[in-house]
Amino acid sequence: MNQPFNSLNPVGRRLFAERLAQSVLGVSLLPHLSALAQEAPAPAAKAPGFGKAKAVIWLQMTGGMSHIDTLDPKRGESKGARDPIATKAGYELGGYLPKLAASHSEKMAIIRSMSSKTGVHASGQYLMRTGYEQRGTIQHPSLGAWAQELLGKSHKTLPSSVCVNRNPDHGNGFFSAAYSPLPIHDPDAGLQYSTFAASSEVMDKRLALLNKIDGGFRAKFKDSNLKAYSDFYDDTLKLLSSEDLAAFKLTDEQDEQREAYGRNKFGQGCMLARRLVERGVRFVEVTQGGWDMHNDIDDEMQENGGIIDVAISALLEDLHNRGLLQSTMIVLCSEFGRGPRINSRSGRDHHPKVFSTMLAGAGVRGGTIYGSSDKDGNSVADKQSTIQDFHSTVGHAMGMDVDHVTMSPSNRPFTVGDKGKVIADVLA
Amino acid sequence: MSSIENFLRGPSFVSAPNASVSRFSNNDRNLFPSPSFHRRSLTSMHSSFLTRLLVALPALALAALATAVPLDQPVIAPSGVLRLWTDTTGRQVEATFRGIENGEIYLQTRNGFVYRLPLSRLSPEDQKMAAQLKPEGLGIPRDPSLAQAAAVIDKGVLLGLEKAKQQPNPLASDEQFIRRVYLDLNGRIPTREETIAFLEDKSDSKRAKVIDKLIQSEGFSSHLFNYFSDMLRLAHDAQKAKFYTYEEWFKNQLAANRPYNEIVRELLSADGKLLENGATGYLLRDRGMRLDNLSLTLSSFLGANVACAQCHDHPFADWTQKQFFQMAAFFGASEVGVKARTPALRGLREELGNAAFQQARRLMDVNSLLIRDGSANDLTLPNDYKYKDGKPGDPVAPALVTWGPNDHRLRCYQDAEAGLKKLGKDEGALRDIFARWMTSPDNPRFAMTIANRLWKLVFGVGLKEPVTDLDDPNAASNPALLHHLGNEMVRLKFDLRAFMRLLCNTQTYQREAVTRELELGEAFLFPGPILRRMTAEQAWDSCVTLAIGEKIDAFKAKRGEAYAQVMNMNVAEADVEAIKEKLTAMQSLRKKGMLETKGKAKAKAKRKAAPTMAEDETDAQSPETLDGLVLARASELRQPERDNHFLRMFGQSDRQICDSNSLEGSVPQVLMLMNGEAQSVLGSSSARVTATAMGMTKPEEKVEALYLSFFSRRPSAGELGEAVAALNGGLQSADLAWVLFNAREFVFVQ
Repeated sequence: MNQPFNSLNPVGRRLFAERLAQSVLGVSLLPHLSALAQEAPAPAAKAPGFGKAKAVIWLQMTGGMSHIDTLDPKRGESKGARDPIATKAGYELGGYLPKLAASHSEKMAIIRSMSSKTGVHASGQYLMRTGYEQRGTIQHPSLGAWAQELLGKSHKTLPSSVCVNRNPDHGNGFFSAAYSPLPIHDPDAGLQYSTFAASSEVMDKRLALLNKIDGGFRAKFKDSNLKAYSDFYDDTLKLLSSEDLAAFKLTDEQDEQREAYGRNKFGQGCMLARRLVERGVRFVEVTQGGWDMHNDIDDEMQENGGIIDVAISALLEDLHNRGLLQSTMIVLCSEFGRGPRINSRSGRDHHPKVFSTMLAGAGVRGGTIYGSSDKDGNSVADKQSTIQDFHSTVGHAMGMDVDHVTMSPSNRPFTVGDKGKVIADVLA
Repeated sequence: MSSIENFLRGPSFVSAPNASVSRFSNNDRNLFPSPSFHRRSLTSMHSSFLTRLLVALPALALAALATAVPLDQPVIAPSGVLRLWTDTTGRQVEATFRGIENGEIYLQTRNGFVYRLPLSRLSPEDQKMAAQLKPEGLGIPRDPSLAQAAAVIDKGVLLGLEKAKQQPNPLASDEQFIRRVYLDLNGRIPTREETIAFLEDKSDSKRAKVIDKLIQSEGFSSHLFNYFSDMLRLAHDAQKAKFYTYEEWFKNQLAANRPYNEIVRELLSADGKLLENGATGYLLRDRGMRLDNLSLTLSSFLGANVACAQCHDHPFADWTQKQFFQMAAFFGASEVGVKARTPALRGLREELGNAAFQQARRLMDVNSLLIRDGSANDLTLPNDYKYKDGKPGDPVAPALVTWGPNDHRLRCYQDAEAGLKKLGKDEGALRDIFARWMTSPDNPRFAMTIANRLWKLVFGVGLKEPVTDLDDPNAASNPALLHHLGNEMVRLKFDLRAFMRLLCNTQTYQREAVTRELELGEAFLFPGPILRRMTAEQAWDSCVTLAIGEKIDAFKAKRGEAYAQVMNMNVAEADVEAIKEKLTAMQSLRKKGMLETKGKAKAKAKRKAAPTMAEDETDAQSPETLDGLVLARASELRQPERDNHFLRMFGQSDRQICDSNSLEGSVPQVLMLMNGEAQSVLGSSSARVTATAMGMTKPEEKVEALYLSFFSRRPSAGELGEAVAALNGGLQSADLAWVLFNAREFVFVQ
C-alpha cells in the first residue's frame, strides 16, 4: 500500500547506492552487499551515521531555552550576564555551561541555524517532539514511536520508549497505544503503580482466580482488542516480576554517582535514562522545564543552566565510561530560543526565528558547528535548518528511512521528519 | 381496506400512529401494506422537503436489496413466529405475539406495527394459545409507531445480512441487555439493586420501560456530554482562560433536550462575550486557528473529509483547496477574539506586584474573548497557493460545496443563495448563512452524520467509518440503512433522546454481541452490536457507581455562572480600583481551585491535596471523596482530567484532537487497574460494593452480590464454586472485588 509513495523503486535505489559507493569508495559493491542494497528499504549509503544510534536520550528543554546563553553565545549587545567560554573544539559555549565546555566539546555537534515559525509553547513543543505542525485532525508520533513501528520493539519486557518528568502525550500519535512511551513522573519514585496492591501470596491467589473465572469470557470473544488487553496484563506481570524492573530503581545506584548527576529531577532523570538505555530501552525523553525566562534571566540561567551542565556532563561521561556512547545518541533541544534583546524585566522573550540544538554520541560528528545565526543571534545567517530537518537527522541516525511513507489509519501519508532533509554534516 | 385493518379496526392501541415513519424507498411499498399509512407519512411533516428526500434516496441500491427478498418471508421479526390469529367474528390476521398485559394482547404485524386489543376479542382457542405462549422478540413496546420505526431499522439490517447470507444473532439475555443499556443510556453500569429489580420484573414490557426511564435520566445527559466533549474537544483551559461558561451552556442544552441542529447552529453563529454567552466557546476555543476550526467543523458535523484540502487539493477525494477557502470565507467577516483595550493596566505592575499583575492580565484576556461580526469578508488565498484558479493573496468569495449535481436545488442551498444576494455591502451575516445551511434538515450530510455517529455510539461501529468521512455514503456497509437513519433523524426533529430511544428499541440493538473477529476488509453488517471496551468515562462512572451507588448523580459542578460573575467586567472603562476589586473577588474562585492552570494543578495533586477543583469544604454541595478520588461523574470533573487521573490513563481524550478517546490498553493502564487508587477504593469497606458483600454471611451470597454489582449477572455454578473455594481458601470480599474489577468481562461490554 505504501508502494506508490516510495520515491525510489528497489532497482533505482540499488543503482543509486552503487553509484554512490563507486564514487565514494571507488569500488562497486560486493555481491552480498549489493543484494542487501537491493532488499533493504533503508538508504544506508545516502548519508553518514545511518543506524548508528541504537538508542536515543532526548533531552527536551520546555519553555524555550535561550540559545544566546547556552549553545550560541554572543559577545555583542545581545550578550547576557556571563561571558562565553572557549572550548577545546574551537567553538564557544555560554557561560552557564562550564563543565560541558571544559570536557565535552569534542563530543558535541551544535546546529546554530534552527528556525521555526511557532512561537507558542504547546504547539512548539509538539512540533519539536513529533516533527509535525500541530493539527486538530491528527496526532503525530514521536521518534520513539516511529522507531517501534519501523524497527520493532527494542526489548522483550521493557518498553521501547520511556518519557521522564512528563506525561506520555505527543507519544504514539496515530500508531497503536502500545507505542505510547511509558511515563515516569518522578525518577526517584520510579515506575508508578509498580508495587503490588497486596502481598505476593494474595496476589497469586487473586490472579489464579481471575484467570479461572474470566477464562470463559476471554474464550468466547475472538476480538483483537480483548486479546490485546490480556497481552497487556501478561506484559505487565512479566515486567513486574522481571529483573528488568530494576532498571527503574535509582536506589540501586551509588550515592556518589547519583550526586554526580545532580540531585534534582533532571539529573536523576538523566541517570534513569542511562540505566534504561543500558538495559535495552531505545528511546528515552527526559524533560526539564523552567526555560520560559521572561524575567531575570541571569538568575534563572544560573539555576537551570547549572542543572543541565552538571547532568549532561555526567551523562556523557557515564555513557562514555560504559562504552555506551558509541551506540547512544544524546539530543538536546527546546521548542524555540529566546530573543537577543534583554527586556525591561531583565528577561528574554520567545524567539523561534533562530535557535540552537545539540547532538552528541552515536553517529555524531563531534566538535562540529553547523550553520550560524547573525551577530546578535536574531536570525539565521547560514544554512537554515528546520525542525523537520532535525527530526530527519535523528531519525536517520536511528536507522529509519526518512523517505519511507507510512499511511495513518485515516489513510494519510506520513514520513519520519515530515520530508525534512538529513543534515549529513553533523553525522559521522 | 386490507384484511389487517379490518381485523384490527376498533379500540386499538391508538387508532392511528401519531408520528409517521420514513421508509427505505418508494419501491418497497408492498412491505407496508397499509395505504393509509403511506398517506400519513407524506402529509404529516414538512411535506415538500420530505418528498424531495424520498426522491433523493438511493433507490437503486435499495430496490436491488428489496427485490432480493421474497415477500412471503417474515422479514421483520425473524426471531418471532408469525401466527394466524382469529377473532371472535372469524376474521384473521398474521402477526407475532408480543405479550399480554392488563387483559390486553399485543400483536405485531408484518409491517412492524404493534396493535393492542382486548384478549376477549380473540377466538377462545387463540386466547388459550396466547396464555401459553412466550412473548416474541422484545416484549411489549411502549408505543406502536416506535415499534414500527424500530422494525423498519431491523428490516434494513436484515436485508443487508441476508444479501451477504449472514444470520442475525439471537436476542441478548436480560442480564446482557440491562448492563449494555445502562452503559449506553446512562453512561454507567447498573447498581446491584437496579439489576435485581430488572431481572425480577416479570412484565412483558420491561425492556421498553427501562429504556424510557434511562432516556430521561440525568446520566443520559452526562453520557452525551462526554461524547460531545470528545467530538468538540471541549476543555476548561484554552486561550489563557477558563471555558466554564461553554461547558455549562452545552450541558444546559443537553439537559433541556434541545434539538441537535439548533445546538450546532448556535455554536456556529453565536456572538458576544464568552463570559456572557457560553455558545461562543466553540469558535473562541480555536481563536487564531480559523482554518483548523473550519476543517473540524466540516468533518465533525458533515463528515466532509477536508483535512487535506486545508493545505492542498485532496489527493483522493474531490475536495480542492479553493473550495475549502470558499467555505472559510463564510467566517471571513467575523472577528473571533477581540483584543481588549486595557488602559488601566499600565503602571499596575509596580502598584500590585508581579503576581497580581499576571492575574489582572488574565482578567483582561478572558474579557477579550468575544465574537463580533464585522462588515467585510477579509479572507484571501494563502501565500503558497499553487493552483491555476487563483493567485496567492486573492480575495475569496464565499461558496458552498455540494455533494451531488442536484444538491443546489435543495432548499438549504436556495436559502443560502438568497441570503448571499441580500447581503450587499454588509457581509456580517455570512456566518449565519453558513450555519443555517449546514444545520438544515435538508443539508445532504448533516442529519446523516449525527445519525451515523449515534449509531456507532450504541453499536460500537458506524455504518460508515470513519464517521468523519461521509463523502461517499454508498461506501457504507449498508448504504440504504444509513440514508434511512438520516431521514429518521430529520423525522424526529433532531431529538437526540428520541433517536437513541429508537435505536435501543430495535432488535438489532438487543441482540447478542458478535463473538467472532471480522476478516480484514470485511464489512460489518450488524448481526448484533460488537464487543466494546467501556469508554474512559463509562469505566470511571461505573467505578463511582460501585463505590457510592446511585448517589453518583448528586453532585453537579456548576462553574460557569460563578466564574462569569467574578470575571466579567467592562474592560474599556475599568480603572485601577475596579481591577483591584475584581482581583479580590478572584480569590474566592482560586480557593475553589477554579483558576488553577494545568501545571499548578499537577503540582498540587502531587502534594496529595489532590482534586481541588470539585472540592470545596465550605460548599454543602460538595462531592464525596475516597482515597483522594473525587467520586463524581466524569462530566462533573475537570475537562479533561489531569494526566495521571484514572480517566486519562483509561483513554479520556486530552481534548486536543477530535474523537480521540482511546479504547486501547497499555502497560501503565494495567498497572493502574492492578495497583492504583481505584482498585483500592473499591476494595475498601467504605465502598458500597464491598461493604454489601461483607455484610452477607454466606460466601455464596458474597459472591453473588459481587457478581451482580460488577457484571450485572449471577455467577454460573462453576464460577460460584471457584469463587467460594477461593474465599474459603483465605481470600476476602475485597480480593474478589479486585478480581472482578480486573476481569476483561468488567471493562468489555457485550
